Amino acid sequence: MADWQIDLIKVVFIWAWALLIAVVMTWVERRASAMMQDRLGPNRAGPFGLLQPLADGIKLFTKEDIIPERARKILFILGPILFALPAFSTYAVVPFGDKIVIGGKEIILQVSDVNIGFLYVLALSAIAVYGMVIGGWASNSKYSILGGLRATAQLISYEVPMGLALLTIVLLYGTFSLREIVLQQQGTFLGFLPNWGFFKQPVGFIIFLVAAYAEANRVPFDLPECESELVTGYHTEYGSMRLGLYLFGEYVNLVALSAITVSLFFGGWALPYVDMGKFLGPVSYGIASFLVFFLKQAFFLFLFVWVRWTVPRFRYDQLMGLGWKALIPLGLVNLFVTALLVQLTT
Amino acid sequence: MDFYFLLFAIMAVGAGIFTITAKDALPSALGLLTVFIALAALYLHLHAPLIAVFQVSIYAGAILVLVVFVIMLLITPDEELEQAQKNISYRAMGAILGAYLVALLVIGLAGIRQLVAQRSLPDGFGAPSQIGLLFFKQYLLHFEMASVLLLVALVAAIYLAKKNV
Repeated sequence: MADWQIDLIKVVFIWAWALLIAVVMTWVERRASAMMQDRLGPNRAGPFGLLQPLADGIKLFTKEDIIPERARKILFILGPILFALPAFSTYAVVPFGDKIVIGGKEIILQVSDVNIGFLYVLALSAIAVYGMVIGGWASNSKYSILGGLRATAQLISYEVPMGLALLTIVLLYGTFSLREIVLQQQGTFLGFLPNWGFFKQPVGFIIFLVAAYAEANRVPFDLPECESELVTGYHTEYGSMRLGLYLFGEYVNLVALSAITVSLFFGGWALPYVDMGKFLGPVSYGIASFLVFFLKQAFFLFLFVWVRWTVPRFRYDQLMGLGWKALIPLGLVNLFVTALLVQLTT
Repeated sequence: MDFYFLLFAIMAVGAGIFTITAKDALPSALGLLTVFIALAALYLHLHAPLIAVFQVSIYAGAILVLVVFVIMLLITPDEELEQAQKNISYRAMGAILGAYLVALLVIGLAGIRQLVAQRSLPDGFGAPSQIGLLFFKQYLLHFEMASVLLLVALVAAIYLAKKNV
């Protein structure tokens, strides 16, 4: 096979995989919330209600597509697309496994190992806000505009602590390539802890996680769509599959964010203490590394759901206070301490 | 001329014209977003991926988001910008700044011979470490000056905001 064919297969595979996980996540979200609230949740369509996402999809596709009369049509259509696109594009740099050898050819399990992969992720998350803003503004309704307004303020505030937390990782590993960062997290540190970013940079991890929840608009940071005040915020006027794209884009975003969390802080595809490559064949090693990565990712996906149904929503001033008065100073101090430690130890 | 350059150059110029002619505020800002992204694509083409990413994350992701924030705060889709566009002092200011930019470009044209000539890239060109070295060794003074300038703006903004509270 030529290189471009392999690349094409990788791209198609990872997109299909991300879509599948996002679909399953809509089911997990509803079932888990039911579990936590002592309800049953959707259990009629298929075994355990597993076909529920399919039923939802059919419903969304067959509903009437309404564009409000006074909305800006082109922008109204563009909004959901711009929202979902950056989330999908993140997968281009996520290392979802080590490497697999098929027919004597070594294939790295990552679409593209660009040396600035890390910054690419940051840039994409910065672009994602436009989907919400455009949708909110083009709807020409008060709730939508307020939702879009909140989205811009929130994203711009939480991008700073996220950047600060990620900078400490760059200082620690001295590279912007996600694959390099994962490779450097192999082995142990202090003799017994896995050599993970989480153990070396716990404060950075907490800041990153909080900022990630804010960037993904998840409870407790879902102020842009806040049902109790804004109906559903920036997508109030949307219906049918356009709404579906917004809702679905959110899950795709979650999958991407958990993948980044795993790669940066939890050793990516590698198991702690065990070197899988030693006793597994080249093909099974590739598959095993992919599965390990997915298991770790699944934990963080579940954490998103867990937090959503456990923690109440912030008030808007609390949200801004947390971002600017707590996370940013903490991030700056953490960056300073890390820089000092790196300077002293190397 | 190569196709890639032409594609994004035309995109940038077209979006730029749209930015200054659009009747509504938000579409105009989106035109500017397109300009930024087209420029980022051109930087990639010039083997400067780091600059391209900064272009997107800082200009498109931070500065323009602030502009959009102000637009959302002040202008609803039903309002049009004509009033602001008819303001003579804005127009005069725009003309002066525009003439200044054109003059800068014309002066820059003098050196275009050297730029167009093909040459091989130095080792590690565009790598983050190389840019860092340039910043902290060769251009340290400029770098620090820029940071002090930004700090001044920050302090001034806080002072102005506090005065009104």
